[in-house]
Amino acid sequence: LTAGGGGNDVQWCFSQVKGAIDDDVAEADIISTVEFNHSGELLATGDKGGRVVIFQQETENKSQPQCRSEYNVYSTFQSHEPEFDYLKSLEIEEKINKIRWLPQKNAAQFLLSTNDKTIKLWKISERDKRPEGYNLKEEDGRYRDAATITTLRVPVFRPMDLMVEASPRRVFANAHTYHINSISVNSDNETYLSADDLRINLWHLEITDRSFNIVDIKPANMEELTEVITAAEFHPHQCNTFVYSSSKGTIRLCDMRASALCDKHSKLFEEPEDPSNRSFFSEIISSISDVKFSHNGRYMMTRDYLSVKIWDLNMENRPVETYQVHEYLRSKLCSLYENDCIFDKFECCWNGNDSVVMTGSYNNFFRMLDRTQRRDVTLEASRESCKPRQVLKPRRVCAGGKRKKDEISVDSLDFNKKILHTAWHPQENIIAVATTNNLYIFQEKVN
Amino acid sequence: MDVEAKRIMALSISKLYSLRTQRGGLRLHRSLLLSMTMRAARDIYHTAQLLRDAEEEQVVPCAPDAAPEEPMEISKDSPQSLTPKEVAMKPQEPKETLEEDKENRCASERHSRKRSVKTALETDSLPLKKAKMETDEEKQHLQGEVFRTNNGNSCRQAETLTAFPTNRTIVAC
Repeated sequence: LTAGGGGNDVQWCFSQVKGAIDDDVAEADIISTVEFNHSGELLATGDKGGRVVIFQQETENKSQPQCRSEYNVYSTFQSHEPEFDYLKSLEIEEKINKIRWLPQKNAAQFLLSTNDKTIKLWKISERDKRPEGYNLKEEDGRYRDAATITTLRVPVFRPMDLMVEASPRRVFANAHTYHINSISVNSDNETYLSADDLRINLWHLEITDRSFNIVDIKPANMEELTEVITAAEFHPHQCNTFVYSSSKGTIRLCDMRASALCDKHSKLFEEPEDPSNRSFFSEIISSISDVKFSHNGRYMMTRDYLSVKIWDLNMENRPVETYQVHEYLRSKLCSLYENDCIFDKFECCWNGNDSVVMTGSYNNFFRMLDRTQRRDVTLEASRESCKPRQVLKPRRVCAGGKRKKDEISVDSLDFNKKILHTAWHPQENIIAVATTNNLYIFQEKVN
Repeated sequence: MDVEAKRIMALSISKLYSLRTQRGGLRLHRSLLLSMTMRAARDIYHTAQLLRDAEEEQVVPCAPDAAPEEPMEISKDSPQSLTPKEVAMKPQEPKETLEEDKENRCASERHSRKRSVKTALETDSLPLKKAKMETDEEKQHLQGEVFRTNNGNSCRQAETLTAFPTNRTIVAC
């Protein structure tokens, strides 16, 4: 499979779907985050029930190009449990908000997972050998009668069935008053940031009992609160640089070398609002739900309710590219406010070489936006297109007027079927798309 | 336009209240967005209402001015008060415009509000019980206001507190 070009010259095929088939979705099974690791070999999902499921790509059979690499369950563990804050009489949800992988340093894999209040560092390691031939114990663990021991031997490692163990190595707790929305590992591989609605903290991966507050936008008088932090991310290469987005549609770039508290931004990215689009809901739809740096570190992408914007880090006054995700929803904002869909937080992601970006929509549609070819396509994650290697057909939404054949009208869209979380393999054209409780894996068509 | 504004305002208020019962604690981001939308709708609605009242003054002898003013002031501040911190720190002005039997209660609340403000600032904790009490009160006034303006006849003021079922029907659309 070739490295990351995507878009319209690529045909996407169904590869796998994970999760229960029945329509009755248990709340705990709702997928809340999806993330490939740095090599793409592992794919992690987090759900509302606090569980993490990791899939591993089977090593390809290179001699048979037709043979597609599949992702199979590698490890499942309960990352977070529901908690109760007795002081504030508040329940703390176990839902996993974000998972971020650490770059691999040794045989084990490490990831950070977070719920609203607590971040945990998990070590995932394989065990395929075990020591056998103890002097004092039987193979099943029972202790031998000391009187029967007449010889001494050295225990040896013997192969066993592969066991994958997940163990919590660090728990980073009690540092956030508000709900954590982002975590991001620094390129220095020693620190990471966690962001809640009003503050961003910097942690050292080894130190759990304290963190440094680097951004604090809490006003002295909470009645003067006008915006909150919605997402934050470290620059992929510059360990001193990070960005955070706000509910007002702005992005601030901060340099940690400038001062200890980065309340004063180095750059402010903001596009003036189009006055002709003003409505009751302008504030809500301009709120940024996700921000992601490009792999090359020159651009960043933001997602708000109706669009995806690409920003050049050297240009603050407007994005260099804007893509409409589902502009046909602009006239439906009142209904979407009524059914709460207007508050949905869609994520977005880059492909390996930053030429294509992807984001989700409703009716289990997701959008691929090709930056180089300036074309876009809408695809659907559906149980009806689940035959192995079945090519996905582009979908079209009819905004109004006469509906063409194969088009779907806006009013027929299912707003309960939303794709909020998507991930793109860092090197290959393999994408993971999460519907409510299923994970779809699509791959580039191989001829 | 103001019919739409009123609808959005009522919708926003009901959403803000339902936020309190959600699992996981009050979502600051969502309540901020709801408050802002509510305020935008309320501003437009009140502007239209004031214009209409100015016209009606000549027609309806039963003076509508005094009664609607009070809850308007309350609701003016209530969106700001509807996040837990903000409820704790609610300004004193709206309470002063309440009917007399509430003023006494007000005085003690004001005192305890001050205390809880300090606490809130120090510990970032939400005095939830306190908030609930205040917002129930607000709710009565807000819903009363919506009902009242529905009819445009403030002579019905005495009936507002019993108007809940009707109001809920409207809000729950």
